[in-house]
Amino acid sequence: MTNRFKTSGYHLAMGLVSFLWIAPILWVVVISFRSFDDVAANGLGSLPHSFTFSTYKSAWQDADEFRALINSLLVTIPAVLLSLGFAATAAYGLARYNIPFRRTVLLLMLMGNLLPPQILLIPISRFVELTGYYDTLYALIAVHVGFGLGFYTFVLHGFMRDLPREIQEAATIDGAGPGKIFGSVILPLTRPALAALGALSFTWIFNDLLWSITVIRSGEKMPVTPALLGLQGLFVSSWNVIAAGTVIAAVPTLVVFLKFQKHFVSGLAIGAVK
Amino acid sequence: MAGLAADRRTFLKGLGMLGAAALVPGCATSTTNSNSSGSSGSASGELSLQSNLSAEQAKAAMEKLVEAYGKTGGKVKLNTVAAEIFRTQLPTYLTSANPPDVYTWYAGSVANSYAKKDLLLDVSSVWDGMQNYPESMQKLSTGENGQKIFVPTNYYWWGMFYRKSNFAKWGVTPPKTWAEFLAVCKTIQSKGVPPIGIGLGDTPWVASAWFDYLNIRINGAPFHRQLLAGEGRFDDPKVKAVFTKWKEALPYFDPKGKSFPFQEATSALLGGKTGMFLIGTFFADSAPKDALDDIDFFQFPIIDPSVPVAEEAPTDGFFASKKAKDPEAVKKFLAWVATAEAQEIYVKNSSGTVIPANPDGKAADTPLVRKGKAMVQDAKELTQFFNRDSSDALQPTADAALTKFLDKPDQIDQILKDWQAAAEKVFKA
Repeated sequence: MTNRFKTSGYHLAMGLVSFLWIAPILWVVVISFRSFDDVAANGLGSLPHSFTFSTYKSAWQDADEFRALINSLLVTIPAVLLSLGFAATAAYGLARYNIPFRRTVLLLMLMGNLLPPQILLIPISRFVELTGYYDTLYALIAVHVGFGLGFYTFVLHGFMRDLPREIQEAATIDGAGPGKIFGSVILPLTRPALAALGALSFTWIFNDLLWSITVIRSGEKMPVTPALLGLQGLFVSSWNVIAAGTVIAAVPTLVVFLKFQKHFVSGLAIGAVK
Repeated sequence: MAGLAADRRTFLKGLGMLGAAALVPGCATSTTNSNSSGSSGSASGELSLQSNLSAEQAKAAMEKLVEAYGKTGGKVKLNTVAAEIFRTQLPTYLTSANPPDVYTWYAGSVANSYAKKDLLLDVSSVWDGMQNYPESMQKLSTGENGQKIFVPTNYYWWGMFYRKSNFAKWGVTPPKTWAEFLAVCKTIQSKGVPPIGIGLGDTPWVASAWFDYLNIRINGAPFHRQLLAGEGRFDDPKVKAVFTKWKEALPYFDPKGKSFPFQEATSALLGGKTGMFLIGTFFADSAPKDALDDIDFFQFPIIDPSVPVAEEAPTDGFFASKKAKDPEAVKKFLAWVATAEAQEIYVKNSSGTVIPANPDGKAADTPLVRKGKAMVQDAKELTQFFNRDSSDALQPTADAALTKFLDKPDQIDQILKDWQAAAEKVFKA
């Protein structure tokens, strides 16, 4: 009896917490279906008095969200692949071989992560300009790879270090070189961690606003986050269109997360329990 | 066995060295990737125009404008960036090695601050063809060293906006003087409606309109300008007089106004939840189109008849980078946007509540715009707005002081002292 009471109490409480969590998102979705005149006349907080799909159309066409999404993916996918690739290679070397000063290297990478990125805004903006890559997507990819590398290496290092030594030794005896060991033994075993980091880094890079507005100035090269900001006018913003644009922009990260959800949870757990 | 183990260890060590060696070029390529000298020389003879007019209608109007210029044979590439990004990145744009050529911006101090740093192109020759512009615009567009640095294209006005039908319902008529204004407030309040709407959440700068207007009505525009330029003091008794006057109207402010932005305050006005609203004409963009016919405004009430009447008429336009690749082409474009014809194209395609800067340009022919234009033209003095007459750095000090005043009007002496201290820091920086 008490048990049942406990269970229903738990579900009620958790249901409430989940609702609190999801309420702002629901609110955005509701606003995205309201017409501008409805929002202007009744305010953002009121119940909807209208229903329209035109907000999605205007976010997609007038605000050019399609091109912005393409830009975002053009940056995010290479940046994720490159940074994870570099990080995995670095972590492999640092974790599996007695490289001199490897602890220093690792600490240095961690230190870079503890630094607030805002400190580097001006140096990066100037450096990118100096090298002639200002206002290009390459610059943005390079920045994201550079910033992600330290953290990803640190996480992957922890993961690879705990892989049994015997596996590698067995592979060595079978005649596998370091490259072969990396590609055929270590990398497949690191897959859960890679998937988890992949999902995380995808979200981070995709949702980034700071670097894109620092490194890029042409409207047509802007990724989706600054493009959404661009829907805000100087004084007046069409919140319903912004809401629709936000809903659209959330789709790619949502897909990636759902796809990697299984790996994500298991990857985090493996990394945590030593 | 032992020998084998040792062998294996040295073997692995060797591999480790190899792995490290493999890592180094990996890092090296990642840096050379962004290091290789690829100077982006985009010398295509096309002007680049960086615009902060990101609102849907204004953006479309800019596109029309550029298109029309294209028909005259000029080539301009419009690049619209979100207003907020533009505001923060403008110094970066102007100081970069390869800056955009032309920028949308505001006239007055905010433009002059860049001229002082020698970042703006001298457009005096463009002004040779703009003799019909009023002297106030000329002064506004002149930098400290006497060069013209700005080309105005349009302006708008501020006023006390209200719904005609509601005023009729409440039996009040637009007041002219401060005493009449307070009487109107009293009547509206007796009907159970907060008389004065305001929206300070997220948009605290809206309160500066009250400060600006009270100051130019009580102390006059020259004092106001000096104060904002750092030549006066905010703890001056004359400034305190502004707040004593403001206090008389404080009981009539909408208490909810502190929690929502001015856009919501517009909704409140239109919904009849507040009586009047001191705001710039840009608010019309956030009003449903069917409500606009019912909207009217009156001039901010006169307080001291002996003070020459001044109005806020923020002026927008263009300036150009000193490093523009083709200064002649830039000047040609600026000369074109100064024509009545070009400004009418913009006004017609934007929301229609702005007035062309060129006196010969025709504004939208609505009673509201006609009245606004007449008010601005009759004014003896024009001011821009708090941040435009001072700087974007001084605006937050005003926001802090004014919101605190609205909360705790009794602490006015302390607030003004704090404001002066904060302002001094800004002026010294």
